[in-house]
Amino acid sequence: MIKPRLSIRSAFAALVCLALVPSLAACGAAIPPSELVDARTAYKRAAAGPATQLAPAQLDTAKQALDNAEKQFASDGPNQKTKDIAYVAERRAEIAEAEAAREGADRQRSKADKDFKSTEMEGLAKTKDQLEAERRAREQTKAEADRNRERSADEIARSKDEINKTKAELATEKAARAEAEKKAAAAMASLQEIAKVKEEARGVVITLSGSVLFATGKSDLLPIAKDKLTEVAKALKDQGFKSLLVEGHTDSRGKAADNDKLSLKRAEAVRDHLLTQGIPADKIRAEGLGSTRPVAENDTAEGRANNRRVEIIVTPEK
Amino acid sequence: MNVRFLLVGCCACALTAMACGGAAVPQDALTAAQADVKGAEVGGAAENPQAMLHLKLAKDQIDEAQKLIKDNDNEQAARTLDRAQADAELALSLAKAAKAQGEASEASDQVGQLKKQINK
Repeated sequence: MIKPRLSIRSAFAALVCLALVPSLAACGAAIPPSELVDARTAYKRAAAGPATQLAPAQLDTAKQALDNAEKQFASDGPNQKTKDIAYVAERRAEIAEAEAAREGADRQRSKADKDFKSTEMEGLAKTKDQLEAERRAREQTKAEADRNRERSADEIARSKDEINKTKAELATEKAARAEAEKKAAAAMASLQEIAKVKEEARGVVITLSGSVLFATGKSDLLPIAKDKLTEVAKALKDQGFKSLLVEGHTDSRGKAADNDKLSLKRAEAVRDHLLTQGIPADKIRAEGLGSTRPVAENDTAEGRANNRRVEIIVTPEK
Repeated sequence: MNVRFLLVGCCACALTAMACGGAAVPQDALTAAQADVKGAEVGGAAENPQAMLHLKLAKDQIDEAQKLIKDNDNEQAARTLDRAQADAELALSLAKAAKAQGEASEASDQVGQLKKQINK
């Protein structure tokens, strides 16, 4: 009993299998060939990439090629014709991608060219600026050098002027000194005419005879003595001096105290007259030495006459 | 007798034509594919590996199409020539793209160098 049941089942299974075979065959016809699969993938990739922007015409051609392949597949299944059309469709998608890449590169290149030009212009401008700055710096340096040169020229001119001025001053001074020396010599000469002049260690000693200056026993200057002293004062002023000491001297006759007094008075009389002639008071002083410093013997009248004297000791200017 | 012979002959010829697929020799397609191959070569396809691959495919397919034409399979020959033409066009596009990319890269490098030189 079991065997026939099994054979019935086997017969049913065989029937089912027989029924499925044609439908499986129909499903096999719906599997797209690898060319179509590749074409779809290629188109999808191209459509998602820059080709939509950069190669729209080629992408459209690729789309039409893929549509043709799909139609061919739908009507005839995966036959050789479908494969060939799908193959071409894949290439069209790849061409769209390649054209997009080329267009992209072309645009990149155009941009780079523009950048190059603008950079070049920028560079030129920069170089121009640098050159301009260098030119300005050079001009500034030159101007400074010119100014320095002018300054140097001015300084040289000024130095020359100063040298000339100094020379002129020296000449003037020399002339003045010569003049002064001449004046001093003239003053000395005129002094020597009116008085005895000799140079000693203590200075230039001008000796005026007492008889010329005063009456015997008096200390008032005689009128002629005033004239002489006026000349002496003039000569002293011309010659120049540091200080004057007026010493009064007498002979040895009479009392020493009287002589001292008289000699001082006479010295003061001479000093006072010299003061009236413009000799500064702080440069002159008077002393009475009496008969303490005779220059000759007091035995003879001549000797005594020589001893009666007024000496003006001149300390010269250094 | 003669009329019958002629009729049989005509029928035989018609049958032969039907067996050949009936398509004409795709001379225009062949010429176009060959021109595209030439164009791709001139366009520098041989200098780029990827372009060179498609150039070779195009050439091989033209050879195959010529064999198919000899075998009177003109319909398949025409489609093979379509494939060849598509490959030749792709080879040219790839060559042009590679060349353009090279030039763009070079131009960018030049800009970079110039900028570097200026900013020294």
